[in-house]
Amino acid sequence: MVQIRNAAVAYKTLNGLICVYKPSCVSVRQVQHIIVTHLCRELNDLPGRPLEKRVEIVGPTNAPMEVKLVPNYADDPLVCGPRYIHEDIRCSWATHLGLFSSGVLLLGINDGTKLTYLLNTARPTRAFKVHGQFGKGTDTYFWNGKTVERASFGHVTRAKIDRVVAHIQAAHQKTMYELSGLHMDSQTTYDIASEGLLRPANSKLPVIYGIKCVHFDPPNFTLEIQSVNEYDKYLWTLVHDLGVQLKTVAHCTAVQCIRQGKFTLPLALLRKHWQMEHLLNNMDQCRQILEDNENLLRPKSAQLTI
Amino acid sequence: MNTIKLFVRWRSPSILLSRTITTKKKLHDPSEDEQLPIFQYPISKSSDRRVYVWGLAETGALGIHLPRSKKSGKKAYRNNFNLVWHPMRSSFCERFDVTKLACGYGFTVAAVKTNEQHKVFGTGINTDSQIGYHAPRIGHPLEMLLSPAPIYIPYTSLETKITGLAAGRAHTLILTDNEGVYTLGNNAYGQCGRKINPNEEYRGSMASHNIKRLGKEKIVDVCCGQDHSLFITESGRVYACGWGADGQTGLGAYTNQGFPALVKGDITSEKIVKVASTVDCVLALNEQGDVFVWGFGLLGLGPNVQQSTKPKQVPAPLFGRNEFNPDSMITNVACGIGHLAAITNKGDLYMWGRNRHGCLGLGHDKDQHFPLKIGIGAHVLSVKCSVDHTVAMCKPFT
Repeated sequence: MVQIRNAAVAYKTLNGLICVYKPSCVSVRQVQHIIVTHLCRELNDLPGRPLEKRVEIVGPTNAPMEVKLVPNYADDPLVCGPRYIHEDIRCSWATHLGLFSSGVLLLGINDGTKLTYLLNTARPTRAFKVHGQFGKGTDTYFWNGKTVERASFGHVTRAKIDRVVAHIQAAHQKTMYELSGLHMDSQTTYDIASEGLLRPANSKLPVIYGIKCVHFDPPNFTLEIQSVNEYDKYLWTLVHDLGVQLKTVAHCTAVQCIRQGKFTLPLALLRKHWQMEHLLNNMDQCRQILEDNENLLRPKSAQLTI
Repeated sequence: MNTIKLFVRWRSPSILLSRTITTKKKLHDPSEDEQLPIFQYPISKSSDRRVYVWGLAETGALGIHLPRSKKSGKKAYRNNFNLVWHPMRSSFCERFDVTKLACGYGFTVAAVKTNEQHKVFGTGINTDSQIGYHAPRIGHPLEMLLSPAPIYIPYTSLETKITGLAAGRAHTLILTDNEGVYTLGNNAYGQCGRKINPNEEYRGSMASHNIKRLGKEKIVDVCCGQDHSLFITESGRVYACGWGADGQTGLGAYTNQGFPALVKGDITSEKIVKVASTVDCVLALNEQGDVFVWGFGLLGLGPNVQQSTKPKQVPAPLFGRNEFNPDSMITNVACGIGHLAAITNKGDLYMWGRNRHGCLGLGHDKDQHFPLKIGIGAHVLSVKCSVDHTVAMCKPFT
């Protein structure tokens, strides 16, 4: 932990990846805005650099002139505004989270924006907890949509959910091979495929690697999904499809991202901790994780990095 | 706002009649939810089964060509196509409670749970009367059936139940619970378990042979190879008959065997519970659910491996065993001539091998070098592979 003495040192250390907990109903842009605002405010509160001096040469020109250093008011924060403003801090997300999703969100600050780009192209898996409810179907597949259908769900059991969910997972295996960009008839593909899972070559279609039901208390249920390239609306449709397969209807009530790559929930900073001290600490932890797992940023083969 | 709306509406009522000026999403009233009826979807029984078929349909072996009513004219059959690229639900099996299935070379037989005369139905190639005698006119027997037709078998009691079915290249074995085995079809090599008559005409034959007991014991399982038949009795003895030119009957001789005879060799002292017979490649399964393969063809060991004399394991990750799903294991295997199939404990079907006439159900006819999941929307219980078509018995999810 660097002892922060002044704003310039603090600004120089603010380069890297941070892991925050995004609340639902707060968009990723808003999260970025809040964090950048907090950082700017705290940087401005720290002791800044001394004011620039203006050199003034006064006196008659035909006699020895006097050189004076006077305070330069053009450099005064009261005149030119605060030292650090939003434009000074770059901030980008690694993978987007929808407005109504919550959970682990990786943001790159300043030079960390390069890391987020690498992380996004390396496509590590994300784990989600998707909460749903049987018995009601909505037009958006989410709880805030208009109810379009109601159906009975007394016949749904844990075993039936498990069976359908296992089928969904297996069905994505074929998608995985297709999206990996490998030629299906080559020996290399066979060797890589027999080692384990493959990573998609582009970000076009979602691939689900693991899906299981972790909680079932009718009418509510929770699915745990490990996937790549998914987005919130896709997860909602997945819940809807599960409902249809089980001869009832279902809608999604909440989506929570619990893991992205090696970045898990305990690492994620809550909104009350979005302050420079905690953010710098978090940045250190994230750097440690990235150093321990080189595959996370630059994977060498088509195999999936967890 | 309202005045603008009215003004606009008044100016061009035909275009903007249904439009509203505001784009704000209307919040819905939660009390409207209560007025919606609660819908009850039909749920299947636990005994319900679904049968999916795919592969070459030209022979009629899939039984998907259903006769149209006479009024509609033009086409005589519904689903009149040659190949089925993807698994397709058989509507015949929706109408009857099918319990057993067997695939022969270009034909399929299905046993139906009933107490009436017609317990077994067959469809497909019928050149050797392997699916019974069907003649629209006397003396003109059909050599191919496009839709399933009942097979007449002289049961002694109508309460008899079908407990097993097996089909070879051109013969069918029907195992009943207390009447022994009925055999139909080609007997040129004695595969039907009766005396070989070189001058016998098999086309349009009405003959069916009944093997009541073998060695005074009840038969509990039957199995067909290409042109030979194997029987297992209660005490675990194996009997064989049929073509023995390569020693497939295991009788210590390379001659054809007319009557079922006890298989010689080391297995006489063992109690055998299951036999299987295929053509070129062999699949085996251990208790951990790993698949081993040997033989000739596309074995699922990659494109570079064409044959293997020793059993080799097909890597488990190819059957969906990975860090997210560590308890996946194979519970059932089957193979046709050049294509192989495995079913996991989660009810997923994986197939690979030669994709003759799209018999892998992948939607194309390119060969598949490693196991790939077949898209069937049900829990697969068993699968039967033939030369060019495949039939899977499944259970609906709900």
